[in-house]
Amino acid sequence: MALQNFCLNLYPFSFNIQTNLKLVRDNLYRLYPGQVSLNSTQVTDYSLSLSKGSGFRRLIKPQARFFCDQKEPFKPLRQEQGYALLEWGMNWTIAANEMQYVIAHSAVLAKDDKAILFPAPPGSGKSTLTAYLAFKGWRLLSDEMALINPDTNIVTPFVRPICLKNRSIDLAKSWFPEGHFSSVAHNTHKGDVVHLSPPEQSWKNNKSNARIVAVVFPNYRAGKELEIYQLNKTQGFMQFAENAFNFGVNGATGFRTLTKVIENAESFEIFYSNLEEVIEFLEQDIIDHA
Amino acid sequence: MPDITASDIIRLYLKPEFATTLSADQWQKAILILRYQQLLARYAKHFRKKGIFDQLHEYARHHLTNAEIIADKQYQQVHYEAALLKQQIGNIGSHLVFLKGAGYSLSGLPVGVGRTYSDIDILVDKQYIREIEKTMTLHGWLPEEMDEYDQKYYRQWAHEIPPMKHATRGTLIDIHHNIIPIVSMRAPDINILFDHTVMTSDGYQVLDKAAMTLHSLIHLFYNEEFKYGYRDLMDIHILMSGNSEDYWQQLLDLAKTCGFEKELYFACRYAEGLMQTGVPDFVTTQLAHHKSRMQSVLDFMFTNLLSPSHPFVRRPIYPLAVFMGFIRGHRLKMPLSILVYHSMNKAWRLTVEYLLGNTFFDKQKTQ
Repeated sequence: MALQNFCLNLYPFSFNIQTNLKLVRDNLYRLYPGQVSLNSTQVTDYSLSLSKGSGFRRLIKPQARFFCDQKEPFKPLRQEQGYALLEWGMNWTIAANEMQYVIAHSAVLAKDDKAILFPAPPGSGKSTLTAYLAFKGWRLLSDEMALINPDTNIVTPFVRPICLKNRSIDLAKSWFPEGHFSSVAHNTHKGDVVHLSPPEQSWKNNKSNARIVAVVFPNYRAGKELEIYQLNKTQGFMQFAENAFNFGVNGATGFRTLTKVIENAESFEIFYSNLEEVIEFLEQDIIDHA
Repeated sequence: MPDITASDIIRLYLKPEFATTLSADQWQKAILILRYQQLLARYAKHFRKKGIFDQLHEYARHHLTNAEIIADKQYQQVHYEAALLKQQIGNIGSHLVFLKGAGYSLSGLPVGVGRTYSDIDILVDKQYIREIEKTMTLHGWLPEEMDEYDQKYYRQWAHEIPPMKHATRGTLIDIHHNIIPIVSMRAPDINILFDHTVMTSDGYQVLDKAAMTLHSLIHLFYNEEFKYGYRDLMDIHILMSGNSEDYWQQLLDLAKTCGFEKELYFACRYAEGLMQTGVPDFVTTQLAHHKSRMQSVLDFMFTNLLSPSHPFVRRPIYPLAVFMGFIRGHRLKMPLSILVYHSMNKAWRLTVEYLLGNTFFDKQKTQ
């Protein structure tokens, strides 16, 4: 495919994406319905590129390379993993440049304008839970990063596909066969990876801020009945701070903001295997009382 | 996108009111160029100082503010790292001088405002290098991984030891015992520079302003790489701006003693030519005899290498200037025999990388 420029007009950040990989183009159209345009004259915040590697190597072992303008933050990956590389590159671009939100590594889902944050390290089942909630009537604001407005407990959406890994891929495909899934990137550093576009309702409300009413730290444990532990403010703050990635750069503002969020929210740590039990807890015990 | 030229980027700095007339389209390009040149924060602070920041297009304010927040954090961080270094190795030998970016920040001079950098450079007494290296290892600083060829290059020919990185904070430190490679035979007696250090109000050793300028211009004109040529020229421009006759006399004397008058001539010529720095006439006159017989060739090369650079604004001839700069820089630094050996080694690697992909020599390979 010849080089093409796509404008990905997301809220609150926009990207120009240059690619010569058909795989990338096709996945973009499938996963960002209505957000992609071929109009390359539009002003965008970031200029990205995801293209085939150079040299004779491309004939033997085709590579995909990600650039944010002239900068290449990651090693090239196999071409089949190119789309996942682009999604990770977009995460990197925002995390490396955007400092006017306090950003936490966290999923954000809401009922109306009441948002729950799910901060968690990889492997905790965060993304499976995110996908489940998003397809069961919750509004997805983000799967990866909570953009918290400084000195408030207000979170701004950054609606993008959900990143599913390994066994959760087949689960999600069986639960939501109507979902828009990307092609599979096999054997990445996170294992097999597929991105899933959130339902239409999340895209429609992708500019509506929400108020953080709870912070829930999820831990998936196979075969476990739901256990809920309420955290005090100190525990909540410490766990949350571990997942905040520009907390340090934002210094005092970051500290004040996290404090404000924790002081105005309930914090829980949950252990679960059954997602229906989790939804019941979130809706009845948190949302209805917030 | 409407065109933005390299001279527009210079004009944005010298005539900040011009910045209020730029559209979002033009800013998109300007921001990319400035980010690539690591100058977003410096421009942001400059626009604020000139009182026009709030009149800039919203697109520009957004990206400039991001860069400013990062630079403010780095400014804070460098004070923290400097305090730790002083505590850990400050009493080994009698010198712990902060150079370049870190020195600019710690000095409190305008050149440090919004200046960002990726490592901290320090200058120490050569005879204590081993001890400093050992002590730093005990405090969590580890040498960066590199292959044998590069190790040998550093140990045998360079003016610094391989960089050290802090295991948890990731801070990089370059430890120098001179300001240019020993192998060049032009390395000055480092005691001359040690005599030109001052103590900042926070208690850190930095070069005085004349020595700082001299080091800055040696670093730029006695080098083979110009990726940040414009930023480095701006450092010199800012350091040279608004000084008394005393400063200029010191700078002239120091350049002469250290044997870098020619580099001072270049610095004055291009700072004046590209940024209208206001070099006093008596300085220009004193240095005039350094004008080269091949001055127009040098002008071509340096004007290209020291202008704001990005694939958007480079002239088609730019790669030639880069090549000339590369050859000239290496020729200055090494005797011919070593240059040939070094170049063959690097050329071999470039060929392999071209054929087998550009990550072939990386220690951590792709899957």
